Formats: sequence, structure tokens, C-alpha cells
Amino acid sequence: MTLVLDEAGLALAAPDKARAINVLPGLTDRIFRTVAYAAGGITVAIMVAVGLFLSLRASTALRVAGFSFLTQRAWAPEHQIFGVGAVLFGTVTIALIALAISLPLSLGTALLLSEVVGGRLRGVLVTLVDLMAAVPSIVFGLWGVYFLQAEIIPVSQWIATSFSWIPVFAVTNADGSSATDASAFTSSAFIAGIVVGLMVVPTQTSIMREAFTRAPIGEREGAYALGATRWGMIRTVVLPFGTGGIIGGTMLGLGRALGETIAVYMIISPIFDINWQVLKTGSNSVSALIALRYGEASDFGLSALMAAGLVLFVLTLIVNFTASSIVARSRSGAESDG
Amino acid sequence: MIPIRRITHLFAALVLVGLWAVAGADSAQAAAYYPISGSGSTWSQNALDQWRSNVARNYAMTINYNGVGSTSGRRDFIQGTVDFAISEIPFQAHPEDGSASEIPSTSYAYMPIVAGGTSFMYNLKISGQRVTNLRLSGETLTKIFTGKITNWNDAAIKADNPALAMPSKTIVPVVRSDGSGTSAQFTLWMSKQFPSMWTTGMTSQFPLIGNAKAQKGSDGVSGYVSQNYGEGAITYVEYSYAKKAGFPVVKVLNKAGYYIEPTAPSVAVALTKAQINTDTSSVDYLTQILDGVYNSTDPRTYPLSSYSYVIVPTQVAGIFTTDKGNTLSAFMRYVLCEGQQQADTLGYSPLPMNLVLAGSDQIKKIPGSGGAGVDTSKCNNPTFKAGDSPSNNLLAQTAPQPQACDKQGTTQCTTGTGGATTSTAVTGTGSSGSTAKAGTSSTTAGTGNSAASNSTAAGGTDQSGTVTDGTTTDGTSLDGTSAAGAISGSGAASSPYTLTDDGTGSNRSLMMAAAGLLLGVVILPPLLSDRLKGRSKP
Amino acid sequence: MAESAQLTLEQPRTTLPSITDADVPEGPRRGVRGYTPRQLFDLFGSMLGAVALATLLFGWFLPLDGPIGWFVVAFVSFLVLYALMVRTDADRQEVADRVVTVLIGSAGVILIGALVFIVVYTLTRGSEAMFHWNFLTQTMQYAGPLDPLSVGGIMHAIVGTLIQISIALVITVPLGIGTAVYLNEVGGRFARFVRTVSDAMTALPSIVAGLFVYAALIQAVTKERSGLAAAIAITVMMMPIVVRSADVVLRLVPQNLREASYALGSSRWSTVWHVVLPTARSGLVTAVILGTARGIGETSPVLLTSGITAALNTNPLSGPMISLPLQVFDFVRSPEPTMVARGFGAAAVLLALVLTLFLIARALGGKAPGELSDRQRRRALEASKRDLDRFTIRANRAAPLDEFEPPASLEKVTA
Repeated sequence: MTLVLDEAGLALAAPDKARAINVLPGLTDRIFRTVAYAAGGITVAIMVAVGLFLSLRASTALRVAGFSFLTQRAWAPEHQIFGVGAVLFGTVTIALIALAISLPLSLGTALLLSEVVGGRLRGVLVTLVDLMAAVPSIVFGLWGVYFLQAEIIPVSQWIATSFSWIPVFAVTNADGSSATDASAFTSSAFIAGIVVGLMVVPTQTSIMREAFTRAPIGEREGAYALGATRWGMIRTVVLPFGTGGIIGGTMLGLGRALGETIAVYMIISPIFDINWQVLKTGSNSVSALIALRYGEASDFGLSALMAAGLVLFVLTLIVNFTASSIVARSRSGAESDG
Repeated sequence: MIPIRRITHLFAALVLVGLWAVAGADSAQAAAYYPISGSGSTWSQNALDQWRSNVARNYAMTINYNGVGSTSGRRDFIQGTVDFAISEIPFQAHPEDGSASEIPSTSYAYMPIVAGGTSFMYNLKISGQRVTNLRLSGETLTKIFTGKITNWNDAAIKADNPALAMPSKTIVPVVRSDGSGTSAQFTLWMSKQFPSMWTTGMTSQFPLIGNAKAQKGSDGVSGYVSQNYGEGAITYVEYSYAKKAGFPVVKVLNKAGYYIEPTAPSVAVALTKAQINTDTSSVDYLTQILDGVYNSTDPRTYPLSSYSYVIVPTQVAGIFTTDKGNTLSAFMRYVLCEGQQQADTLGYSPLPMNLVLAGSDQIKKIPGSGGAGVDTSKCNNPTFKAGDSPSNNLLAQTAPQPQACDKQGTTQCTTGTGGATTSTAVTGTGSSGSTAKAGTSSTTAGTGNSAASNSTAAGGTDQSGTVTDGTTTDGTSLDGTSAAGAISGSGAASSPYTLTDDGTGSNRSLMMAAAGLLLGVVILPPLLSDRLKGRSKP
Repeated sequence: MAESAQLTLEQPRTTLPSITDADVPEGPRRGVRGYTPRQLFDLFGSMLGAVALATLLFGWFLPLDGPIGWFVVAFVSFLVLYALMVRTDADRQEVADRVVTVLIGSAGVILIGALVFIVVYTLTRGSEAMFHWNFLTQTMQYAGPLDPLSVGGIMHAIVGTLIQISIALVITVPLGIGTAVYLNEVGGRFARFVRTVSDAMTALPSIVAGLFVYAALIQAVTKERSGLAAAIAITVMMMPIVVRSADVVLRLVPQNLREASYALGSSRWSTVWHVVLPTARSGLVTAVILGTARGIGETSPVLLTSGITAALNTNPLSGPMISLPLQVFDFVRSPEPTMVARGFGAAAVLLALVLTLFLIARALGGKAPGELSDRQRRRALEASKRDLDRFTIRANRAAPLDEFEPPASLEKVTA
């Protein structure tokens, strides 16, 4: 005890200045720091190179197209008439349909996994859902083309005939009469949206489940003690607590849905026009446009495609960053490190 | 520590695998033929895939081919990312549709590889029965693909098909979404023949008009048409795709007034009128000018016939080396001779002698060919025999005349076309024609009559490539006269076909009422009992 | 100790009812889980009713068609019927609770059912091609467009996938884990920049990664599609994923472990190598394997970069080299049944590969950092026992002679 006091006394006597801690790292440490720094540097260099290259190449086309790049629907870079108006519309339509499909499914499943089932079954189901996140998108695409397309046509027809008074559900021919043939309902944004929706569900589910399971046990028990049913507890405790997780998970799913290529490419019949009738044949997406046109593009055409890719990238970036900031600010996210 | 070391070992192993792979490939390259790759047309992909597997088996050649569409193929060649490209049209220095001009930086040569007909594959049923004998005039086809005709019961289609009661069904034109030589051939034909209706000239990017649907590649369009939901669809695609898919193709009206199917002989006949650029100094040497084909008055002509070309480099540049040139020239020698044997079976038409000879000269220009062309005396090409005159085409000479029932008028043949060999029942007011002069092609249902056997014998070529089923010829014909002569006006009359509609008018409201009643019976009792309980309680 | 115990006893405290005092007879234990027969009746009764109703509507009353439409109608009527049945003897609260539980349950059943169906559908349709052994041992080089399933296979695509993913891993793993180590162990302003950039890059659509490699590498440098180009496209796509997940894993390593290591005087490098990485090992392996599964399954980067071939190409530096997802895509472009069957076969192989990788990752990474398996714990126990023995022996040796207590055997001798 006395020893400590002595030291404190000495410190008081000394000038009031923080001691500089100069640690001379050993050789291995210096090498380690350099190597780690280099690894980080190379990684960031690769990524920045990708970004810069895309922006540089895209700028050639963007300079020609100007602001109309976002509104022009046609895609004919050789005529200097090109824009992502139609493809961006298609991309967003497909992603929104995907969300409409995936949101209820993932919300329900996340609640099921965190609130209803327990024990071994929960473990198995959680593994199964996570496993599905790893299923390649081409497998979803195959299923969409060879199974879903034929099976969903009657449903589309039914929706189109029963709800034709809702403009987005109506399906009309070129002359304005309502279409009934099966072929009017193939390769639609609706079908692509369902497939992409199923593709993003596992990701959304695991993020939401993660948030729900973090709901404090004390609040849950409090709700039960006050006589709430399970649904009452979920409504008052779990859902408000997991709001951040729900929004974040949904938006991360949206980010993936926006960038999905191969399943959309396999299903849709590409058009360069805005098609409000989601059940009708014909849609497009930025990534499908790139896959379709990269091979035959001239240098300028390629630069236009890069501009389209850049727009998609920026869109996804905004969605992802919004998602992560919402998750980080929410109660469920603040308590976690991730 | 141990685990990290284990991971390090794993990496070492992976690196070793990589090194072994590189080393292994190097030793493999010591083989006689260096692997080459090309890309382009899907029009000729069926032929190319067959040749590719043949030379792999017989000569241990590795030919990689990526069917991405002619436009992509030409672009790949310009950028030097392939060793050869295949396209139906030459490089477009000044494209009619205003797309970017295509000027390769290295020297190249065109060489025809196969002939064929751009056919119109369709999926149409009348009363649940597949139509296999549809025939259309060029004008009608143009109107269909420009969105002027939108229903199968249009008067123009009825006029072309007197024996069919056309159903009221929307026409779905299926077009190519990628830049395609097939689109270019089709639009070129329309722009030359019907310039008032088709105003955009020759274009590789088919515009999307009306109800049209776009699909990628020949596989994509033919795949779409052959689906169940593709009923009512029609597309333009090389004949071989229809054969492969088992679907019929449209018989197209030629200038002589006959509706002709794009079989190997009718394509060969048509292409005798093709004007080939014979100026050896021109960059477009050997390319085709097809106006003569479109306007040929030979009754056996299929008007949309054309050649497909391979674009070969004539100088060493980029990834192309003399070793690769050696493989490419050997492959091309195979294509011009033995390869043509299978053209007919696959749904193409073999090259005539003059083009084989010209192609032979082009092969000599490939670096690494060793100046070797084609030896016509040993060439196993079905269009000529050793010692023939170069302008002869055995196939065209022996091509049979069309059947009488294929002539424009009130008769219509019932035999199937393309890959669909079953004949079609007569449903319209016209009459079924006979197959008296049958044997016009190997693919229409063979009737086994004397004319047919004569023509094949005289042809001396293998025209019986596809398996035809003689028993299906007259199976479903209503009047049973399909094997007899043409009997004008005596065909089975039939009531106009109407599409059965399940829910219209009063029927529909009755159904809805019934369903509502059912729901009411199920749902109301529990609701009512609850109410009643609630009332009786207090 | 005794003093303090007495002190606390005097202070007021919570009275706990002693169990032994209670003379209340123990009632039967009430089950709070499980279902009463009435609940089960409600559930299955309305299910049955819904199926019957939907079948009636579909088969008899309305012009409707197709299994999916039937399912939708059946589901909606099931919900309505179930709500009605519960309503007969429960209040509004309970009806809401039960209906929501059923909704949640059916969302799970639909989702998991649909996902399992997709996998089973692919495997079933793929079995037609897989049934032929040549499918796994041959290439498509000798198979023409008209050949049956007994000719040709996807060996070249399997080899191509393995080569491409190996190259991608050789680049990604050291760089990715190195970057994650840098972010966590070195830190600084630049590290924050690196983290932001790599987070941003996870948003890069995979097709754009392919487009980048196509324009920057194939068009500008190699002039040829090749396995290497495909591998680099996969790398560009995988790298941010691996960096991000490795970063998360390293962040989970408890700080006190590092501090303990530094307190013992070890350098940064030995702390990373001997403490941080071994602790996070299973998590890192999981991160890498999940990234691998993603890289193997993605079609769009290779669509633009690898080229298409029917022959086996083991040289990633020249010539096209096809991989499994692209081969699937190429097969199903053709409408021909045999080609479609091959496409499903290749998809089934790809699926099996990815699922195997996932299960390996699950087996390795199911544990938090520092958590040990039984074997590891046993080994750790043995090691610490050895250490204990060592320390006792050393302590005994170092002890001064006068405190030395001779072992029993020695005592015997002196005695």
C-alpha cells in the first residue's frame, strides 16, 4: 500500500505531461504491420480500381447522354439514344414484387423460428433456411423457367381477369383489348419477381430472426405476466424491438434482388419500354441488359453498359448503406457488434 | 497454430493443383491440333456442333464454339477474342440500321460453310389438333411481323390456307432479342420485297412491335414456340431448329405461285440464283446478293434461302497463331467436304461445287494452312461428283417439282412440314391436295409412292435422313382423299371454329352466384350461431 | 467470516417460503405446451374443410385451373374457416393469437416447403442425366446436338469450376483474411477507409464484376476469354464478402484474450498468430467456405469472362474454360429434352457441391470463437495437466535445500 502512495506522490511532483509511449516494435512486428497494411492496401486498391474504371468508362457515355440517361427508355448507343429509364423501371418492379413476396414469408418464418418452435426442430429449421441462402441462383432460375412459369400462368390469368380494374393487374393486347391467351402471361416481371423473392427470403429471414431473438427476456416475461397472449407479446415487445432488423433485412434483400442477373435473364422477355402491367410478358433489368448486350457492344456501347452498371451499383449502394445504418441505430442492432 | 498450418498446407496444395493444371495443359498442347475457339451465329450452330463433335472424335481436334448471335461473333472477331467467327451477313461497315460500323483491324476472309432456309416455325392448334401444313405469302408474313395482322383468323391467312378453318387466336410473333444474322436475313428480305411495309431496312436488332416477344438466340425463340404456352406463336429460325423441336414450318409462297418448304433441295434450287461476289480483290469476296433468290421464278424455290459464312483471319495477330491456323484450315477442309454430308439430315442444305472451290482458295490464305485447299476429286460433298463442272449442283438438278396441291389456289396439301410429320385434318372450306407428286422432300411425311423413290434414286444423295412415318400421312384427313389426286372443291366442309370460352355473360354470373352460395352455406352458420348465442345469453 | 455472517442475518431480507413448511397437497402438473383435442380439431377440421371447399370451387363452380390457384383458394378458405371455428368459444384476443400463430406457421411451411421443393425438383430432374455414369466422367466434346444422354458429360465443367475457384481462393483467402486482420489488429484512419470501401463493394452486382473483368482484362490485355479471367471475376465478387465476414469474426474475438497476450509480453505478430487467428479459426473457415459457395454458384461473372467450350481445358491461361453454372445455363438454352436433362443434371451436381460445402462450414463453424469441441477440450486438459506436472517438478527443483522434503522412498532409505 505504501509503495503505491509513494509512486503517486512522485507523479504529482513531476511536470504535468503525459508520457509518450514509444514502443520500438521488433522486426517481426514491423514485417507483420507492413504485410497487414499491404493486404488492406491491395484489397482497397482492387476495389477502388473497379470503381474508378467503371466510372471512367461510364463517363464517356454519360457525357453524351447527360441527364436523359436516367429517363430515356430506348437502348441504341450507336444512335446516341440510350438510357436506363425502361431497364431501371423493370429492375425496380421486379425487386418490389420480390419484396412483396418475400417480406410476409420471411417475417412469418423469422417469428416462427424465434417465437414458436423450439428445441431441436428450431436448430434444424434454422440450418435449413441458412442452407437455402447458399443455393445458386441458376437453380432458382431453372425452377422458375421449367416449373413455375407453366404453373403460375393460370394464377396470372385469374388475377388479370378478376382484378383488371386495378391498373397494374390488367393485361391488355397491343390494341387495348384484354388478353386471355396463355402466351400473354409468360416471361413477366411477376414470374421473375416471385423467383427472385424466394431467392432473397433466406437472407432476410436470418437477419430478422437474429434481431427477434435479441428481444430482452425480461420484457417478454413482463408482457406475459400482464396477461398478453403470444401474439400480444410479439406485437408489443418483439416487433417493436426488431423493427431495425425487419427494415435492415428487407433492404439487404432488396439490394440482392436489384442485382440478380441470371434468374431474371432466363425468365423475362426483354423490352425497352415501361410496362406497368406486371402480369404481362416483357420486362427488363439492368443486369439482364448487360448480359444481353455486352457481347455485341462497340466500345461506346460498352461504355453505355458500364454507365448502366454504375447506376445499378449506386442504387444498390444507397439501399445497402441505408439498411446498415438503420440496423446500427435500432435497439436490436445497437446491442450487437455486427 | 496447428490449424493455421493446416490451412497453409491447403493453400500449398491448391497452388500445386494450379501449377499441375498449367503444366498438364502445356503437355496437351503438344498434340497435333491446337485448340481453337470461335463464336457467332446460332443459325448455323446445329451444323457446327455436329461437325465439332465429329472432328473431335475422328481427328482429335478441339473446336470451341459459342453461339452468341452473329453480331456478337463479328464483334468478338474485331476485338480479337476469338480465332474465327460465324455470321450470316458480312461486316457492316455502313450498317443500314445506323448501328456502329464494324471494321476489323486485321485482314480476314469470308468463306461459306453451309446453306439453309430461314423458316417460320409456329405452334398452332385447331380444335386441339396441331396444324402442320400452314402456308403463307411473303406479304402476310411481313404483316404478321410488323403487327398489321394480329389474329390467326385474319382474311389474308384464310386466303392462304383454304383447307384450314383458322381459329380466332392472337398471333404472337417471337423475335430475337440479341443481334442476330437471322434477323438480318429476314429483315433484308422484307426490306427488298415489301419496302412499303418494312421501312427500317436490314437490321440485326429486330424491333419489338405489337404483341411480339423477344427471346435470346435461335434456341430461345424455338424453345418459346415449342412450349404449351407458346400456342399461337410464330418465329423465324433456321429450318434445323424446327426439325429438332418436332415443330412444323410455314410453306412460303414463291414468285412462281407455289408454297414451298425450306428443304435441302428447295434451298439448293433457290441458291442457284444467288449472286456471289466473285471479285477476289474485294473485301466482300464470296458474299451473297440474294435479290435473285427472292425473285426466282423456279417453282421449287424457297425464297428465304441463304448461305452462312465463317470469317477466318488471314494473318497472324493477337491470339491467332499459325498452329491455330493449321487446325482452322483442317477443320474448314472437313466442313467443305465431309461435313456437307450431314447438312441435309440436320436441316441445312449442302454447298455447291463452285463455292467449295472458292472456299478452298480462301482456306489457302489462312496462315498455317500450308497452302492446302480442297481436293474436289476426293471431296465427299453430296452436291457434286468428281469431274463435274463447277457450276453444276446435283441436288438442285434432281430437286423434284412441287406438288400440285402446293400451288396457290383452293387446294392445300395436308402433309406435315419441318419436324412435325403428322398431316393435318382438313377443317376449312378448301380441299386437301394430294401427295401424288410427293417425295418433294425427305421431311414431309413420306408417302412411299413411286415418284418419291424415283427422285431419291436420281438424286443419288442421302435425302432420307429423317425418319418419316408413312403411316401418318393420311391418318387424320377428314375426307380421306389425301392419297388420291387433287379434288378441287370437294373437301370436307366444316363449321367455323370458335374458341370455347368458359365464362361469359350469364354463364359466368351463374357460376359466381353458385360459388357465392356455397361460400355462404359454409361461412354463415357459425357466424349466425354466434349471434344467436350472444342474443340468448343475457 | 463468522462475524459478517451474523451481521447480514440481522438485516431485513426477502423471506423465502420454505417448501417443507407448505402442507398444500401437490396438484397435478399442468401442461402449458402441447395442444388440446379441441385445438387440434379446429386446426385439422378447418384444413379438411378448406381442401374440400377449394376442390369444389375449382372442379365444379368456377373456371379456375392450376395447382397454385387451388392452393391459394384452399389457404384463404382455411384461414377463414379456422378463425370462425376458434371464434365459437374464444374471445377476440385469442382468435387473433391463434390465427396469427397459424399464419406464422404457414409462412414457415410455405417458405421451407418451397425451398426444399426447389432443391428436390432440381435433384429429381437431374437424376435422369446423373443415372448415366458417363455424365460425370466424360466431356461434351464428342457429343453432337442429336446424341442421347449415354454420350457426353460434364467432367470438363466440374474440373473448370474446381480450377477457377481454387485460383480465386488462392487470391482471396490471404488477401481477405490479411485485410480483416489489418482492420482489427492494426487499425487507424486508413483502416476505417478500407472498411468503408469493402462494405460498399459488397453492393457491387456480380454482373458488373464480370463486365469489369471483360473490359479491363479480356478486351485490353489477354484478348481471350479464359479460366483465369473467370477466376479473377469471381475474386472481385468474393473478396468483399470474405473481408466483411472475416472482419465480423475477428471482431468477436474477446478483447481480454489479446490483452492477456500483450500482458505476457508478446508482440503484435505473435498475438495475432498464436491467439487471435487460432481463436477465430472456425469462424474464419466458415467465412471462407460460405464465400466459396457463393463464388461457385454465381453465373453472371463467368458468363462474360470464361467462354464456352465442350472440351476439357486444364489450362487457365489460354482458351475458354467452362464452369458448372455456365454449363447449366448453356445446356438449358437449348429446348431439346436431352440437353435440358443434362442441364438439370449439371445443376444437381452444382447443388450437391454447394450444399456439401455448406454442411462442412456448418460443422466447422457452429461454435463461437474459443468454444472447444470435446476432443479439443480433452487435449487442452491433457496439456494443462502436463504443464501442472512440469511446474511442480520445476518448483521442487528450484526449492531451497532446507525446505526440501524428501520423497517417501528417500525417507525410507535414510531411516
